[in-house]
Amino acid sequence: MIGTLHEILEQSWRRLAETATAIIPPLLAGIVILLVAWVVAVLLRLLLVRLARTAWLDRFLLESGVCSAMGRSRPLQAAPLVAATIYWLVLLIGLLTALNAFNTALTNRIVEGAVFLLPKLAVAALILVAGVWLAQFLARSVLVWAANEGVPQPRKLSSGVRVLVVFLAVVAAADHLNFARTVFLGAFLLLVGGLVLAGSIALGLSAHYALRRRLTAPSGTGEGEERSLWDHL
Amino acid sequence: MLTEEARRAAAALGRADIVVGIPSYNNARTIGHVVRAAQAGLAKYFPQHSAVILNSDGGSRDGTREAVLNASIEEPRLLLLSTPLLPVHRLSLPYHGIPGKGSAFRLIFAIARELKAQACAVVDADLRSITPEWIDLLVRPVLYAGYDFVAPYYHRHKYDGTITNSIVYPLTRALYGLRVRQPIGGDFGISARLLARYLQRNDWETEVARYGIDIWMTTIAIAEGYQVCQSFLGAKLHDAKDPATDLTAMLQQVVGSVFTLMKEYESVWRNRRGSRPVDLFGFRFDVGLDPIPVNVDRMVKVLLAGYRDLREIWALALSKNVLEQLAVVCRQAESNPREWRMPDELWARIIMDFACAHRALPVERGYLLRSLTPLYLGRVASFVLETESMISAEVEDRIEQLCLAFEEAKTYLIARWDAAGSLPEARKEAGRLEVKA
Repeated sequence: MIGTLHEILEQSWRRLAETATAIIPPLLAGIVILLVAWVVAVLLRLLLVRLARTAWLDRFLLESGVCSAMGRSRPLQAAPLVAATIYWLVLLIGLLTALNAFNTALTNRIVEGAVFLLPKLAVAALILVAGVWLAQFLARSVLVWAANEGVPQPRKLSSGVRVLVVFLAVVAAADHLNFARTVFLGAFLLLVGGLVLAGSIALGLSAHYALRRRLTAPSGTGEGEERSLWDHL
Repeated sequence: MLTEEARRAAAALGRADIVVGIPSYNNARTIGHVVRAAQAGLAKYFPQHSAVILNSDGGSRDGTREAVLNASIEEPRLLLLSTPLLPVHRLSLPYHGIPGKGSAFRLIFAIARELKAQACAVVDADLRSITPEWIDLLVRPVLYAGYDFVAPYYHRHKYDGTITNSIVYPLTRALYGLRVRQPIGGDFGISARLLARYLQRNDWETEVARYGIDIWMTTIAIAEGYQVCQSFLGAKLHDAKDPATDLTAMLQQVVGSVFTLMKEYESVWRNRRGSRPVDLFGFRFDVGLDPIPVNVDRMVKVLLAGYRDLREIWALALSKNVLEQLAVVCRQAESNPREWRMPDELWARIIMDFACAHRALPVERGYLLRSLTPLYLGRVASFVLETESMISAEVEDRIEQLCLAFEEAKTYLIARWDAAGSLPEARKEAGRLEVKA
């Protein structure tokens, strides 16, 4: 009885020792790697914030309209942005290297997946940023046009354009990531179809009314009022 | 630059001392009168010079070109005491490229250079008040007094030429220090060397191709140190503008050209302070002018709609201070539109803020400039309400006050301009200066 108990305990201890021997070295290695990555990331961030010559990037962010597209009233500074990106990138590389030290099927799958996904994520993020920029640009152009032309509810029209373009960017980004492809694509097709239908109905109705007005109104009606805004130029 | 047709026409003429250019687009109703006035002016005042009247047409479909070729002063009612030694040729050619007045001018200038003209005058095709004396007044200072650029000086109704009165004249005067009263008048005299300079430039395919041409010509002449004078032409009466003309596009092209040239000639205007008068030829006299109808209520309505909807766009260009002042006056206008006033200092700063934004935000400058329309109409409404009971001399004094406000705001402009061209760290310093200014 005591022998059996002793044997079980011995086996359990051996398994624990084997597991510890298998896990502790890679765990220690992982922690060291993470620490080194963190130190490198912090140093790089400090160096980049202080030394990076990003005047051209600051100018690009300002002049391209990215600043205002992001809703910033003050200009974006590129150096902290670049530094933060590098910081998180180094930490992520450290984490993946640390995971790789375990060399198990699970960690290998995680590392492999992350390595393949990262470039796609970067491209998707770029698509989103470009989409937001374009949405802001078009929405503002539409807002100014609608306000100058006296179109009713210019802000709503502008918001509609913004939402549509951002949605388009989300569809493109999701498509690039193979994420809920059919859902986004289906929603997009429904939206575009609906808009085309609404546009066609609106065009048909306005053409009908415009034609009736043209046929019934005496010639020259309203011209005086229209002219008075620019006769004085 | 010249098409084969234009080259052949120029070759057939050989040379000409004077070229009178008339850009046109569907001006059949008035262009005949303009051509006859030009022809009579050349025959009467320059009988010993060879001359060509050149119509540069943008594809008119109302018989404009035929009207040019059929216009003639050879009628018994017209007596000329001087006998022209050389005939005045008439030519009508279509221009190519971007449709607009600038492209039409480009063809006129290119042919004038080809003909080795010593002087070139350009006049609008929709003029109803042009007389033969205009040609003398535009050409003589170039031919006989050594001037390179003759700007027009007209009597206009107090509500006529409001882009000139409220933006272009005060701003050009404050920047370059010369009081050219009608910088976008449209009727100019130009010397051969200034023509060559215009043709040398490579920005013809920009706003210059359209309505930006007038201020482009004037600014280059002033900023590059050419000899500039003005000629008093009397009244400027022209056909009512085509209702299809897009006010916003016109404003964008004219003001966009001023702002673009500000960047190019920064070194010229930065250190100039105050302004000085420009030589004026011609005998000044008072004339009766057609009344101009204006709809103030509608203009104020457009301004208030703009204030409601476009504030986020204006915030991109206007400083916080200016935006706050604008909010105050707009709120007052909401409660009592007939008491609406836009102070000169505020208007000067608005324009200067837009100039700086035009420099700092090249991608966004299109809609930024278009968003200026309600503010401009608001300023015009304020001007109309303020000058309702004034006679033209009093109105001129009022415009003088506005010009002085622009001249005073130049320190503010420089502070903002430097901030617009600098990066965030430098902006803090500029902000401090701006508050001082």
